[in-house]
Amino acid sequence: MAAKLITTALRRTALRRTASLKPINLRPFSTAAATIPDPYDDPSSLTVKGVKISGRPLYLDMQATSPVDPRVLDAMLPFYLSRYGNPHSRTHLYGWESDEAVEIARGQVAQLINASPKEIVFTSGATESNNISVKGTLHFYKEKKKHVITTQTEHKCVLDSCRHLQQEGFDVTYLPVKSDGLVDVGKLRDAIRPDTGLVSVMAVNNEIGVIQPMEEIGAVCKEFKIPFHTDAAQALGKIDVDVDKWNVSLMSLSGHKIYGPKGIGALYMRRRPRIRVEPQMNGGGQERGIRSGTVPTPLVVGMGAACELARKEMEYDEKRISMLQERMLNGIRAKLDGVVVNGSEERRYVGNLNLSFAYVEGESLLMGLKEVAVSSGSACTSASLEPSYVLRALGVDEDMAHTSIRFGIGRFTTEEEIDRAVELTVKQVEKLREMSPLYEMVKEGIDIKSIQWAQH
Amino acid sequence: MAAASPSRPEIISLFRSLLRTSRQFSDYNIREYSKRRTIDGFRLNKQLTDPSAVAAAFADGKSQLELAKRQVLVYSLYAPKVKSIMELNH
Repeated sequence: MAAKLITTALRRTALRRTASLKPINLRPFSTAAATIPDPYDDPSSLTVKGVKISGRPLYLDMQATSPVDPRVLDAMLPFYLSRYGNPHSRTHLYGWESDEAVEIARGQVAQLINASPKEIVFTSGATESNNISVKGTLHFYKEKKKHVITTQTEHKCVLDSCRHLQQEGFDVTYLPVKSDGLVDVGKLRDAIRPDTGLVSVMAVNNEIGVIQPMEEIGAVCKEFKIPFHTDAAQALGKIDVDVDKWNVSLMSLSGHKIYGPKGIGALYMRRRPRIRVEPQMNGGGQERGIRSGTVPTPLVVGMGAACELARKEMEYDEKRISMLQERMLNGIRAKLDGVVVNGSEERRYVGNLNLSFAYVEGESLLMGLKEVAVSSGSACTSASLEPSYVLRALGVDEDMAHTSIRFGIGRFTTEEEIDRAVELTVKQVEKLREMSPLYEMVKEGIDIKSIQWAQH
Repeated sequence: MAAASPSRPEIISLFRSLLRTSRQFSDYNIREYSKRRTIDGFRLNKQLTDPSAVAAAFADGKSQLELAKRQVLVYSLYAPKVKSIMELNH
């Protein structure tokens, strides 16, 4: 009892002392003389890329990545500190305990998607899983199957893998989407050929947040006996993902979108009927030969803990995030007109709100929103100034596509943050519209599209 | 020391300890989430009548308290110097 009192007192003083300790130098190993002032040295403000802000921005970009949940970090830390063994070492305790942790995490991931642990392969992320699924499947079945069907709104890694396959001589059909972002299942059915080897449709789109009709697509694929692959990186832990209800053969999962660590993902591969792929990473045959390489135990444990948390918290989070999304949308719509929600409003994941503001220039809107960490529709995938291909596939006009902003709401977002973001967005949009001659013309009643711009 | 069924003062004490620990998080978002989740968690479990379910929830709460204490320490060690915009006044 006395020992407990002493340790509690010690811990309390340690907490007090560390709070008043001089801030830890974040770069103790840099040997070059620091000629550029470290942007994190000045405690009163932050100057990065020439912009000075007084505090860390509020984070509303959950589709790009999510903060690691403290419960996940707590599960991971022992595997960085004392339990650092390689799970493939068969001869000592370090290997055995590491392997046990990996298998427990595998079970946790499998339980979230209603699969068997034997069907889960750990990879370095959803991008790698997508590559294995698209290229691996087609390469394995290349004698008989030469055709892939995918959509125009897929993630860049799927589209790039398909382009790679096209260069190798395979045929790819890029299905168009309707103006609400959903795939037309009739068009999918028409596109199927006898030599179709794979259908790949992502479950929840990362840019616009629409949820595709997975059960209908799965039913069509089952009817024609074609493997169905889905990129469920944004869907995992957020909507109900069930590999049997959706009838998927392959599913890509990502760790860092569900409050887990970055650098880890998983691939679900159905066993009945068995889907086979050609591995993209060759080596010692780990992960049943599908993905060789040492399985990173701390990351895998983190992903497993994140999945288990997601299973327990999904209902609570969904209710809350739905309330926050309504609050944001109503707050913005109450003060501004000309606000368009990109993508279907009914079939969407509640944590993704992609808005376009009419008569406002996109880059200047983002520059003014420096205290809010959001993403614009175009910056996600390319460094060029082209508007996002997803919005283009929806048929959104160029000018509206340029002004799109994607707000990502997550587990840790507070009501105050939403209110602050609404306030800042409304202020910035009003400021820009006041300066805009186009908006003046619209208010006078002139139809912008009918103007013949004179050439000087 | 297996608790047969936690008494009401024990539950209230656990609730207070969790809130007290949550308040110490240096990160704004984690702090607000911890406080909110604790309150909502205890409110949702208020209706539990089955003694084994109550004991399980209490044990879970105790392990969450230990976890929170550890993580408060870890977060404070690496707290950024510049605070979140939400913590500074307008």
